[in-house]
Amino acid sequence: MAFFEQLAGNLIYGAVLGSVYGLSTMGLSLIFGVLRIVNVGHGPFIMIGAFTAFWMFALAGIPPLVSISVALVIGLALGFVIFYAVIRRLLNAPELATLLATFAIGIFLEELAKFFWGPDHRGYSWNVGDINLGVTIMPYSKIYALISSIIIAYLLYMWFQKTKLGAAVRAVVEDSEGAMTCGIDVGRIYALSFAIGIGLTVASGVLVTLFVPVGINPYMGHEYTLKAFVIAVLGGLASPWGAFYAGFIFGLIENGSYTLLGLIPGVEPFSLTRFVAFSILLIILLIKPTGLLGGGSK
Amino acid sequence: MRKKRIGLLLAILAIGVIFLGCAQQQQPAQTPTPTPTQAPTVTPTATPTPSEVPDKVLIGATLSLSGKYSKEGQMSLWGIKAAIKWVNEVHGGVDIGGKKVKIDFKYYDDESKKETVQSLLERLITSDKAEFLLAPYSSGLTLAGAPIADKYGVLYMSHGGASDRIFEQGYTYVVQTLSVASEYQTPFLDMVKALDPNAKKVALIYEDSEFSKAVFAGARKHAEELGFEVVIDKTYPPNPTDLTPLLSEVKAAEPDVILGGGHFADGQLLVSQMADLKLDAKGISILVAPALPAFYEALGTKAEGICGPGQWEIGVTYSPETAKELGIDYFGPTQDEFLALFKEFAGSDKSPSYHAAEAAAAILAYAKAMEEAKSLDVDTVRAKMNELHFMTFFGEWKIDPETGKQIGHKMVIFQWQGGEKKIVWPPAAANAEPYYPIPTWDEKAGGKLAK
Repeated sequence: MAFFEQLAGNLIYGAVLGSVYGLSTMGLSLIFGVLRIVNVGHGPFIMIGAFTAFWMFALAGIPPLVSISVALVIGLALGFVIFYAVIRRLLNAPELATLLATFAIGIFLEELAKFFWGPDHRGYSWNVGDINLGVTIMPYSKIYALISSIIIAYLLYMWFQKTKLGAAVRAVVEDSEGAMTCGIDVGRIYALSFAIGIGLTVASGVLVTLFVPVGINPYMGHEYTLKAFVIAVLGGLASPWGAFYAGFIFGLIENGSYTLLGLIPGVEPFSLTRFVAFSILLIILLIKPTGLLGGGSK
Repeated sequence: MRKKRIGLLLAILAIGVIFLGCAQQQQPAQTPTPTPTQAPTVTPTATPTPSEVPDKVLIGATLSLSGKYSKEGQMSLWGIKAAIKWVNEVHGGVDIGGKKVKIDFKYYDDESKKETVQSLLERLITSDKAEFLLAPYSSGLTLAGAPIADKYGVLYMSHGGASDRIFEQGYTYVVQTLSVASEYQTPFLDMVKALDPNAKKVALIYEDSEFSKAVFAGARKHAEELGFEVVIDKTYPPNPTDLTPLLSEVKAAEPDVILGGGHFADGQLLVSQMADLKLDAKGISILVAPALPAFYEALGTKAEGICGPGQWEIGVTYSPETAKELGIDYFGPTQDEFLALFKEFAGSDKSPSYHAAEAAAAILAYAKAMEEAKSLDVDTVRAKMNELHFMTFFGEWKIDPETGKQIGHKMVIFQWQGGEKKIVWPPAAANAEPYYPIPTWDEKAGGKLAK
């Protein structure tokens, strides 16, 4: 009984964490899908979002839920600046150039954050109570993180499907030359997609702090970069929606496998959860190389 | 093709500019204050006459000024600078048979990386000619550098590497200033035993790393000796993002006391998620994290009652008088003098953590050993260290001649009480009573403090 309770509790936490993972990966997939650029400096943008939540709360007492929209705006602005300053010049450059450039941007942001805010691990306490789910107890802040990430992902989906601009982005993804002949300003769509990708990533940084409100520091992004890549590949690298679902799956596997591994005598479950998560990734890729929602192979 | 080439060129240029920016920002860290004239470190003969003793002795170090130990590295640097200023200006220099020798200090940023530590140590030894080295922060980095120092036969003093394993490799030139890892959590168990003879169940949850494994191997052994039952003994990988699966398992085991942690970030995460799951215990002791004020700033009242082991805290009672009572020498600044010197480098708003104190103590130990040995020869100084037993503001200093392990220094236990860090154990060093059992998470959320 205790076993099932723990398993259920872990799966619930895994789902919440997974939704945050999912949203934090959507930006990465969107940028790759539209611009065919792999943003290796992905994690530091999550860090910027986390610091946004922290400073808004620490200086003005603004709750993190409000900070999500602020972070989105900061991310959009940052995205446009980086696009016009760096990325636009690299659109036709070899892959190595864009990899190096995004990597450098990541380091630049980290060092900038350290310069201004110092290396401290910061955190905040937003006490909004908790709910007893029977099998486990969960603070409302984490439930808000789950709901917010689902809402943001849904809004993005609607924007893609229902608006003209969204349709233009889809057209560029399908065939950029064809889109150009139809009068779509491809350069502008690139800029917009990059900015939205960064905006989503920065906003997800706020959600990360809703899940774990401590350990906010300039180098916190690394862990998320690695996971984001795995999740992006799992979801079919170019698909933001795939990434969102894959995030859920990754969270569930990561947390759920802990309880199952604990059944094996003499095994340290935590040392194996990442092994299991990555093994499942390998298996999925062997069976379906385009990722779970990657569509048919091209 | 041409366009691509131009693109690539521009990209490299952009990266260059960005890196240059970063490099310029780091430069002051990499080129320490006194530069061009410091290189000529003379290799002294075994018994030097005063005229053969050089004017300066070079101490070299790698410090983690960026990367994951940048916080601890920065603290160490301030502590080292304060200690060197005391030796050079207050003490007048290291007294080698009547001649006052000034300490020169050269350091590089190791970026908290093992490979960097190794190549920088090679550089310090072969090109800067440093024969007295300070190890970097953390057991992992200290262990990475130890074989290099030992290979070249230069002294390598650990001030932030506590793992017992460093001293079980048969190195001759590796010595230690801080207490070994296996003794970190033992005073907390002693304290619980003394306060609550009925406490039985102990849970150990810690980072799967060099240092914490050594700490908790020691804790487990001590717990069993004291008659505790270890109900959980589990590790988690470094840099975790979520510890709830492990903590729900701990909750089901209903331990009386919980001991855990590893480094700063995971310690903070542990407490934060224990609060989420309402994992209550009568006493909680976490490694490393609670020592820094940032712990309380980040967690607020959740940090109330949390204990932690410390190598040193402001307020400990090591002084020339206590040294006299023990019949040993006292060397270096008093605690107040150290605090004043520290603030000269760190700024008046900063207080030293134990990382600063232990790094300062390592410099003082070098100076004391050189003075006692009346020599700057590495082997003579190393031999003299085996006989040394003295006290600094950091505590006692005495090494095990066989291994170089520190055996004189003792750990203290502190507890967050009403937003202040109080020393609660051992009673001789304490400036407050331990608060036990600590308030539950619900009580803390309601504003109850541990005082």
